[in-house]
Order: sequence, then structure tokens, then C-alpha cells
Amino acid sequence: MTWPDFLALQNAWLFLLLVPLVILYFLKLKRPRLEIPSLALWRSVMNDQRVNSPFQKFKRNLLLLLQVLLLACLALAAIQPILPTGAERAEFLPVLIDCSASMGALDEPGGGTRLAAAKKEVRHLIDNLLPSQRLSLIAVSSTARRLTDFTDNKRVLRKALEQLEVVPVASRLEDALRMTQALARTVKVDTVVLFTDGNVPAIVDFELPFKLNFQKLPAAGQNLGITAVSARRARDRWDLFVRVEASHGGVAVAKPASDAASADATAGTEAAADAENEQRATVQLMQNGKLVASELFAISPGQSQRLVFPVDAAGASSLEIRLLPEGFDALETDNTAWLDLPVSRDLAVYCPLNLSSYRHALRGMQNVALYPDDNGDGSAASYDLVISDRKADLDLDAGAFVLTGVVPDEVARLVHVEESLAEVVDWQRSAPLLQHVLLTEVQIADQPIAADDVRDRDFEELGYEVLAHGRRGPLVLRKDPGGRPQYFLLFHTDRSTLPYRVGFPILVANAVQLAMQQAGLSEARGQPTGILPPINLKPDTDYRVVGPNGQAIAERTSADGLLSGVPVPNVGRYVIHEGGREVAAVGVSLLTGSESSLDTVDRLQFPELAVGASSELLKSDKPLWPFFAALGFVLLLAEWWYYQKRPSGLPTT
Amino acid sequence: MMTNETSPTRFTTLLDNAVLSRLERMRLAPRRRLTNRSRGEHQSGKGGASTEFVDYRDYAPGDDMRYVDWNIFSRLERPFVKLYRHEEEMHVVLLVDASSSMQFEGKFELARSLAAAFGLMGLLNVERVSAYACHHQGQEPLFLPPCSGRVSRKRLFEFLETIPVGGDFPIDAAIDALLRRHRGRGIVALLSDFLTFGNFEKPLNRLFSAGLEILAVQILGPTEMNPELTGDIRFVDCETGHTLDVSSAGDLLGIYHEHRAALEEELGILCRQRNGRFLSLSSQEPVETVLFDTLRRKGWVR
Repeated sequence: MTWPDFLALQNAWLFLLLVPLVILYFLKLKRPRLEIPSLALWRSVMNDQRVNSPFQKFKRNLLLLLQVLLLACLALAAIQPILPTGAERAEFLPVLIDCSASMGALDEPGGGTRLAAAKKEVRHLIDNLLPSQRLSLIAVSSTARRLTDFTDNKRVLRKALEQLEVVPVASRLEDALRMTQALARTVKVDTVVLFTDGNVPAIVDFELPFKLNFQKLPAAGQNLGITAVSARRARDRWDLFVRVEASHGGVAVAKPASDAASADATAGTEAAADAENEQRATVQLMQNGKLVASELFAISPGQSQRLVFPVDAAGASSLEIRLLPEGFDALETDNTAWLDLPVSRDLAVYCPLNLSSYRHALRGMQNVALYPDDNGDGSAASYDLVISDRKADLDLDAGAFVLTGVVPDEVARLVHVEESLAEVVDWQRSAPLLQHVLLTEVQIADQPIAADDVRDRDFEELGYEVLAHGRRGPLVLRKDPGGRPQYFLLFHTDRSTLPYRVGFPILVANAVQLAMQQAGLSEARGQPTGILPPINLKPDTDYRVVGPNGQAIAERTSADGLLSGVPVPNVGRYVIHEGGREVAAVGVSLLTGSESSLDTVDRLQFPELAVGASSELLKSDKPLWPFFAALGFVLLLAEWWYYQKRPSGLPTT
Repeated sequence: MMTNETSPTRFTTLLDNAVLSRLERMRLAPRRRLTNRSRGEHQSGKGGASTEFVDYRDYAPGDDMRYVDWNIFSRLERPFVKLYRHEEEMHVVLLVDASSSMQFEGKFELARSLAAAFGLMGLLNVERVSAYACHHQGQEPLFLPPCSGRVSRKRLFEFLETIPVGGDFPIDAAIDALLRRHRGRGIVALLSDFLTFGNFEKPLNRLFSAGLEILAVQILGPTEMNPELTGDIRFVDCETGHTLDVSSAGDLLGIYHEHRAALEEELGILCRQRNGRFLSLSSQEPVETVLFDTLRRKGWVR
């Protein structure tokens, strides 16, 4: 049996008030007077042993009994009894509440969101907050936001909890845990409670310094969502790719690897079941607000569909893709996606006449405008790609640079070039410029030689990344100042065998492709929620970014003209204004497969340990004082009624 | 409802004329022949000079020769003296409780009526009747000196009609006051509610020792016999002004009835042990019913 504990036992002196209460009761009792012939019989009745038994005495003094009970209830409430439930009584308890996109999913038609379920649990924690306990609410989405400091003010906690809303971004636990770790430096934090639907990355890169109570909420229902939107430029049109994924219907998908055989055995059964659970949906494509295409499809739980729509590439377009499921859909925010297509034009490439090998390769490519022409005439105000062997061309206005035989001034003290034979030892095959380019057996007459004790880290500190290594120093460097990539081939390609290799045109094509991507001419991708990618605008200019809900953010571009770091937490269109004039617009969509799938994990894997989900509700010591206070109020009402009621049984005359 | 004023055709306010006429044919029936030495119409157990034959006895020298049965002497040749029943006078004492407790619910009116009936039966049977009424403790009770004969009816009725009500004289103390003045054997009719804190054993012993057969009539009001009370009440004694706080009186009614029955039982036992009789009445019972039905069936009157 669990005995109650008391938090304010010093208030037990209130029980001493029972003595004056009893005295005052008998002094002040209001009784109707009744004159009778003689007290003899009643006196003998009152002297009867049965009348004077304790139970009968209480029965006869019901009003006194009510008052004694009322005072006892108030005194009990004052000493604040609690019913221990075995819960850890942490004094400072951070509560992490997942409010990522999946927390907005409903469990059934007309049901509540996962966040509402989490709020209910947290409200239970707040209601049962002990006087010595302090809670701190922390919202977890792709980042972490502290809603309250450690406080026992229930009003503050409830208000902060009510204001918490779903943020349509992917969930990430590291930031919240690091914030909690920072909090633990000021107060003693033993346990951290995490309320989530389980739709979080299973592997968390964080060393847990405290105990994590992983409270997993009930799973959400079936969901269909757009998880990817992209467009690739064809010859005279855009091909729009829309990926739609269906959730597993709230079933945790984490399966142990050893169960692969049994999974194969049940695959047929699951396929049959999936066929029965197929859901139909329609995808509508709106171009500049006008419906241009629609497609009906069916999808099974856990499966995905890739839909392709041809889009006219005549001018800049704003595409809106709507997903209209024909059944219950748990998550609403992933049913709409936006994509902005730029104006179709040729890629402007600057390449001096002396780089004939590059010009030759560029000349054979489509949608490329080469400057200057073969006569040395023509120029553009800005270029998408500059391929040059002159350091001064870095001053040109371009989106990407490929400089050959140029050593940047910043790294001149780290490396110098000698005339000797060099060869490529290793290179980053996944680098955009070097993809599918075979550099083995390429003979190079320039030998970049790194200074003594110079390591890759020294280049990285200057903002350079080494893409290819020679025997004595780096051969290819990359820098990305202001979102404009610069590739430095420290050797001149004309003094190497590279132009005679198959990889050379591939290298040039990679550079063109890279520039096209940089300019948004070859493909476009839907922008997920979170942070807006850098946008090239006027340098050092104030802009106002207005979101879909009307909220506005004032931002200023950098000296390079980049507008970066703009938070876009909501799904919808963000319009960028310059002095009241619209200069750009970006559609932001959820586009997060992990959130739309609503897949959940039962274990969080940390570097050294794993934390399993607790399906039981979080225990908390049950304070009993509200019960006693309510009982006291009921007793007060009963006493008032008993005191006010007309005594019955008395003669009316 | 009875009025204190006597109508021109009514002999007394205490009893109807019809009741009076019926009472003339009735007489008290004491269990024992507790009589006085003075002659009267009440037959004693001793041999007497009345015309009613009782027994024979052997002649003794000096006996009155007139009582010798000569027929017996002629057959047996021995003289026998005839004995006749001796008729002696019986004293009827009426004690009416006139304290404040009797003014509730017609208790005193019934007590006066019964006292008048008992007194009338005594007077009409040529017995000495005296009456006492007790009021305030410490004062002498009102007293009607012994009287007898039909001519004393008016005097008896006037005494009873003019008894004031009020006071705190307990009935046990009133018995002591009665015995300080009373002389003579007979019967004593105690008309009271017997609701007193005193002990009745000694007063009843003294009545028995004084040669008085006890006829105790307890008269209670309806609210005393069947009180209907609930809740917390402060009872006030009408005689002493003392108070008693009772909580949840409704829950105590069962015990109250037990104690009232126990009081009746105790009084009955005390009376029977002293060759007396006890009767408990409700003040709401008609006096005719009490006199001609209850008392007759119980053998108190003939």
C-alpha cells in the first residue's frame, strides 16, 4: 500500500483549530426552543449509554461533524498531501515537445493531431506539478525553441503550451538536446522528457548526459503526401516530376535486419493486403494559377508514385501542385507544393580565344551562348560561367568560374608551381566538376608544390576544398564565395594531356551543367520549408519577405547581393519586396519524405546507448489537495444546506 | 371543550349530568378493606352489627345473648353466636397534581374530572372524602377537609373547579405533604403525570404504611406519549426553566419510548408491590371512556 506523502507538513498546526471549532460550536449552536412538561424523561434518555456512544454522539452532532470534516479537509489540503506513484521526482524537468510536420497528423477523420495528444500529456504533467518541481518547455522541430524557463507557474506553462503550433518542417533532435545540455549547466537536470510521435531520425548524433524519457504518442492514420517536386529542362519544355508517397498507415516500419527472411515470406500477404488498402488520389497542376493538368492514380500503403507532367517553357512559371486524396488523409500540409521555373534562355559562357580546347568543347553543346565569338567580338553584362586562364577574369560578373593555370593569391603562400611532370594521385569523383572524369595517367607539365608542413586543413581554413591531389601538392581547388563556385585548376590544361582525353569534354560539360544548375536553367527543385536558399539580389539593399500568413521579415542583402538565412517555416508562397515592389517569389513546400510517411521509430540510437520508447504514460505524483479542497467545498455546501433547512418535526404551534 | 362556567342545567363543569347520574350507581372497589373504626357503609372484614350474616362461633360468657342462634342450640344443645358483617367508614383521599407540567394538552382537566368522579363515588357511598392539590414546592398543598355524604358534592366540585394550575411541586414531595396532614385508612387516588426526578419508592411506602391503597393514574399528553421530533432542539422544562440540548431528536425517539415504558413499568411494579394499582392514560381519552370502560374493566370501580 502506498502511503501519502506531505509537502507542507508545517501547516499541520491547522488541525489545532478543531479545538476552538468544537468549543465555538457548542457555544453558538442555534437550536429551536421547545417547552415541555418535564425534562425527566429526556434527561434519562440523554443519560442512556447508547446515546452517549461515540457513533451516536457524532450522529447527533451532524453539524459539528460536517464542520470538523470541513476543517480537516482544509487542513489536509494545506499540508499538501501527494500520492507517490513511483515517479522520479526531478526538481528541474525539461520537457521536449516535438512540433514537426508529422505532429500535425490526425489519427482519424475529425480526430486530434499528435501535437494535441502531446499537449494533453504535458498538461497532465503541469496539472500534477509538485511545488518543488520546475518545468521548462522546449519545442522541437528542425531546430529547438525554448518556450519557457524553468518555472512552476502553471499559468505561464499552460499559456506557452497552448501557443505551441505545428511547424511544417522535418524533425531533428540534436539541437533540442544540446539546448537541454546547456540548461543542465545552470541547474541539475537528471531526466528529460521527450513527447513525440516517433517520426524522428532513429540515429541521433548526441552524447546523452542525462536520462531521456522517450514518450511515444499513438500513431497517426493513413497519409498521402507530395515528397518531391522537380523539373528538368528538355529541348523546348520542362518535364515536371512529382513524387507522391503513401504512409504505412501508422505502423512502425523499423524492422530488425535478421527478420529479412521472414519479411520475404510475408511479402506476398502484405502485397495482397496493400492492394486492398489502395488509396486513390488526384494530382492537379496549376500553372500561374490556371489548371493545366490533372492525373488520377492509386497508391498502396508504403508505396510511392512518380508522376510526370510536361510544362510549357515559354516564360517564367509559377507551378502549384495539389494532391487531392479520395479518402482520409492524416496530414494536410504535404498536399500542396510549389515550384518556380525560370525564364528559358541560353547559358552565357565566357571563354577567351586562347582556350581553344574549351571553346571547341563548348561549341558543340546546346543552349550555350559562347562569348566572345570566334572573331573576338561580343560580350555580355553577366555570365553564367567563366572559363579562363586569367586571374583578372575573376572580376567578371558570373555565376561560376573555372580557372585553369591560376593560383589564387590567398593560397600563393601555401603552394607554388614548378615546371616539372606531375600526375594525379587522387581526386573527388563525386565533385560536380569531376564526375565521370578519369584523371589517371594524365600527364601534367605544371607541378604544384605545397609548402612544407602545409596540409589540407590549411586550405580549408582559407575556404578552399582540395578536389584533386598531386604527388607534391593540390591540383584542383574549389571555393564557394557567396554561392558562386570557383574552381581553380592549378595547372594549365594546355600543358597537360587532359584535352586529349575523353574526360575533357565531360569536364567541360560538368562545368556547363554546374553553371546551368547555378542559374536554374537546367533543372528546378521545390523549396522545402526551413531556410530559404541564397537569392541573388541587389547588394546591401533592404528587402521585406512576406510569408503566406501575412507575416513579414525584414532582411538585408550582403555585399555580394545575396539574400540568405531567411526562415520560411510555413508552407506557401513567400514574396520578396523591395520598397513595396515585388522582386521575387518563392514557393515553399514540406517536401520531406520522412514526415509525410509518418514512419515511426521505437528506439533512438545514440552513440553509446539506445533509448526505447515508453508506451506507458508518464507517471507523476498525484497531488491530493485539489481533492480535499473540492471535498471541503462540498461539505461547506452540505453544512450550509443543513444549517439553513427548517427543523422538521417541531410542533407548528 | 369544557368551560369553567356552569350552565344553569349543569351541576358541575367537571362532569356531565349524565356521567354524574351513572356515577351514582357506581362505587370504588378497593382490593383490601382498609376502613376506619367509625361506622360507615363500607363493609369491613371484622364481625359487625349489620344485617348481613357472616359466620358462627362458640358462645363465650359475656356475649350478647341476642346473637345466640336458638335453632342451633335446640338441635345441638350447644350455644353458638351468630356473627354479622361489620360495616365501617373508608377514607378516600384525592391528590391532584396541579403543577405546571399538568397544564399541557388537557392533562389537568382529565385529572380534575377523574378526581371529581372518584370523590363523588366516595361521597355517595357514605365515605369520607378529602382532596389535595399541589402547586408550588415549599407551600402547603390546597386542602379539602374530609367530608362525607351527598351534601358534600357541591363542596367537592367547587374545590376541584377552583384549583389554579402552575408551580413546580413534584408529586413525590406532594405525597409527603399529604401524609403530614392526613389521618385515616382507605384509598388514595394519585392523579399526576409522574414526570419527576424524584424516587417514588419511599412516598409509596409511606402511603402503604398509612393504610392507604394506592390508585395511581398517570396522565400524559399525546406529544409525551408519541412525540414527533427531529433535529437539534433545546428542551425547556416548564416547571424549573431548566434546558436540555438534544441533537437529532428523531433518532432518540425509540430510546424515549423505551424509557417511558420503563417508567410506567416501574410505577406499576411499585404500586402492585404495595397492593396498589397503576394506570397510564392519554389526556385525549374521554372521561366517560375512562370511567365506564377502562376503570370498570380493570376492576377499579363496580
